[in-house]
Amino acid sequence: MPKLSMSMTEGELAEWLVPDGAEVTEGQVIYTVESDKSTQEVEAPASGVLKQVGKVGETYAVGDTLGEIG
Amino acid sequence: MATHSLDIGISASTLLEIYRQIARIHEVDDAVRKGLSGGKFVFTYWPLTGQEAIPATLSTLLTDDDYMVTTYRGLHDLVGKGVPLRGLFAEMLGRQDGVNKGKGGSPHVSHPEVGAMLTTGIVGAGAPIANGLALAAQMRGERRVTVVNFGDGATSIGAVHEALNMAGVWKLPIIFMCQNNLIGEYTRIPKYTASESFVDRATALGFHGERVNGNDPVEFHRAMSRIVADVRDGKGPYFVEAMTLRLGNHSGLSDNVYFTSGELEEGRKKWPVSATRALLLESGLASESELEAIEQAARDEVADAIEFALASPVTPASDRYNDLFADESVVPRRGSYPVRKDKAAPTGGETAKMNLVEAVRDAHDVALGLDKSVYLLGEDIGEPAGGLFKTSLGLGAKYGDDRVRNTPIAEQAIIGCGIGSALVGMRPVAEIMFNDFVGVCLDQLSNHAGKQRYMSGGATTVPMTVRTICAGGVGGLGAQHSQSLEAWLLHSPGIKVVYPSTPIDAKGLLLSAIFDEDPVVFIEGMAIMYSIKEQVPSGDYRIPLGVAKVRREGTDLTLITYGAFVSRTLAIAEELANEGISVEVIDLRSLMPIDYHRVLTSVKKTGRAVVVHLATEFCGLGAEIAATINEELFRDLKAPATRVGADYLPIAYSADIERAQVPGPDSIKARIREIMNF
Repeated sequence: MPKLSMSMTEGELAEWLVPDGAEVTEGQVIYTVESDKSTQEVEAPASGVLKQVGKVGETYAVGDTLGEIG
Repeated sequence: MATHSLDIGISASTLLEIYRQIARIHEVDDAVRKGLSGGKFVFTYWPLTGQEAIPATLSTLLTDDDYMVTTYRGLHDLVGKGVPLRGLFAEMLGRQDGVNKGKGGSPHVSHPEVGAMLTTGIVGAGAPIANGLALAAQMRGERRVTVVNFGDGATSIGAVHEALNMAGVWKLPIIFMCQNNLIGEYTRIPKYTASESFVDRATALGFHGERVNGNDPVEFHRAMSRIVADVRDGKGPYFVEAMTLRLGNHSGLSDNVYFTSGELEEGRKKWPVSATRALLLESGLASESELEAIEQAARDEVADAIEFALASPVTPASDRYNDLFADESVVPRRGSYPVRKDKAAPTGGETAKMNLVEAVRDAHDVALGLDKSVYLLGEDIGEPAGGLFKTSLGLGAKYGDDRVRNTPIAEQAIIGCGIGSALVGMRPVAEIMFNDFVGVCLDQLSNHAGKQRYMSGGATTVPMTVRTICAGGVGGLGAQHSQSLEAWLLHSPGIKVVYPSTPIDAKGLLLSAIFDEDPVVFIEGMAIMYSIKEQVPSGDYRIPLGVAKVRREGTDLTLITYGAFVSRTLAIAEELANEGISVEVIDLRSLMPIDYHRVLTSVKKTGRAVVVHLATEFCGLGAEIAATINEELFRDLKAPATRVGADYLPIAYSADIERAQVPGPDSIKARIREIMNF
C-alpha cells in the first residue's frame, strides 16, 4: 500500500485493473486505492508477471504488500 | 550541436545547461513518484512538478559560494543547487549515508558544501534566516548572493514580512524568490489574499521587485542575470515573483483537484520540461540525440543514486543522541549525570566594581574585541540608546553600527538573522527585550535554532546567543512583561539555557555562551540587574556551562535555585539557620546543560531537597528536578523532593496579588519547614 498523501496511514484496495497472473509493464496502471475520500490509480513499479496478494475491498496499512511483480 | 540556430536571446550552452538541470530535476521527481506509488519509498512528498525551470535557470547564475534556503517543496531547488543525488536520496529514505545522516529527511536537507544552507518545513520561516546568511556575506565583504525560495502562500506569514523589511533597511545581498505557483497548499489566490501582486510587498518596503515568467527559461534567465548581478554588486535586495504552476497536489501523489482541468491542461502544455525541450529543438540549438543523451545521463544518475540510497543502512537508533549538541553528554538522559569541572573566575588580577548590567556590557565588550565574528543585534541596542537596560551602551560608538546593530521591532527577523549568520560561522548575540517576547519568535528558536544541528546531522550548527530579561518578581510590569519562561525553552530540544545570579557569573557565563558551539538563551533577572554589585575580573574569563555552584553549605536540606532567587534564598537560609535548620543553597547557573551530578551529590548528603524558581510551578523545571531526585535517591531521602514556583496564573498588576503569586520568603520558608517536619 503506497503512501499517497501526507495524512495517509492506510488505504482500501478499490480495484485490480489487471488480472492475477497477467504480464504488466512498468508505468501501466494496475490497481486503484481509495484513501482520504479520493480514488487514485497506481502504476506498476516494474515489468513482469503480476501476482495479486491484496483483496479488493480490504483496508491495508501503508507499506503492506498488495502484490508482487516477478 | 546544430550549426544553424535562431537567436532567441540565450546562448546554446546556457539553455542546454538549463535543460540538463531540468532533466535531472524531472528524473528525480519521476523516480520519487514511482518509488512512492510502487511502495519502494515511504515518506511524505510535496511535489514540485511544474516548477523545474526556476532552480534549473538559477543554477547557471549561482555558484557553490552563493547561499540558498528553501522549503519542504524544495527538492527541485536542492537538485539545482547541486546537492549530490546519492546523499539526497539516502536522506529522503532516512539512511546513514544521507547528506544529513538520515536525521533531517526531505523537508530538512542542508548541504553547506554547495551552499544549500537550510530547508525548512515551516512556511515562510526561511526568509529571516536567509537574511542572516546575506548579512554575514555583507559584513565580511564577500560577493555572495543569497537566494531564499518560498511559495506564494508564504507571503501571508509574518516572518516573510519581517524579513523583507529587515533586508530593505540593511540593503542585504538577497533575492526573495517567490515561486508563485498560484496556490497556497490547498487554497488558491484570491481566497487568501486581496493583493494582486506580491511584488508590491517589496516596493512597499522600499526595494525592488519584479514579476517574471519562471516557466520560461529564456525570459527568466535574462531577468535573473541582471538581478543576480545587481544583488552581487551590493545594490540591495530584490523580490522576484516567479510565475509558475504547481501541477501536483500539495502533498503526496493524489491529483491536483484545486485547479480546473482546463487550467491543468494549459499548464501541462507549458510544462517547462517539455516546453524547454521543444524550444531547443525548434530553435536548432540542440539535436534530438543531444537531448536524449542529456536525459539518459539524468536517468543513469538517478538510478545510481537510488541504488546507493537503498544499499545504505537505515540510520540506527544508536546514533540518536549525537548531533543535538556539540557535546553528546549534554543531552539529559536518565542515569547520565556527567561530572563537569568547575572553573572559577580569576582572582588576584585587575577588577572593577560592577552590577549585572555592567558585567553583561563588559562581556559584550570583551567578546567584540576578541573575535570579529561576534556582533550584537536587537531593538534599540545600538547608538544612541545602548539597549533598554544599557547593556551595550557605548559599544556602538566603539565597534560601529555594523557590529552593534539596531534592528526593526521584529523578533522573528532578529532571531532568524542570528541563526542564518551563525550557520556560516558568525557569533551573533541577539537581544530579545523581555523573556515574554520569546513567544513572538519561538518558531525560530525552537524549530530552527534548536533543531538545525540535529536536522542537518551535524552538517550545520547555530552558535548564537540570545539574551533576554525576565522582569518578574519586581512588581508593576504585569502579565506580558513578567514571565520566566525557561521551561518552554527547556522543553524544546537543542537550546541551552543560562540563568546567572551574580555579576561575576553573568560575565563569565555570557562569554562562555557567546563562544559556545550551540544556541544559548541567556536570561537576566531584572530583580538583580542593579542590586548586586561586586568586583568583577577584567578581561576574558569563562565560567563553564553545566556546572552548578554550592553558594552556601548546609546539612539538613538542599535548596536548588537560579537567577534572582539565589541571593533571595541565601538570605532565607540565614534566617532559617536561626531556627536550627541548616540549608545548603545550590545555584544551577545553567539549566541546559544541567548539573545533576552536583545536585544529587548534595541531596544525598542532606536527604532533603526543595527547588525554588520564579517560573510557574506547574510543569516547571522544579518538577523535573524533584522527579529526578526522587527516582535517583529514593532510599536516601528523609522527605520527598519538592518544588516552589509561581501560581499557575498570569502575573497581576496588583502588587498584593503579584507578591502572593510568586515565591516569597514566607512561602519558601513554609515549604522548607513542611519538608523538615515531614
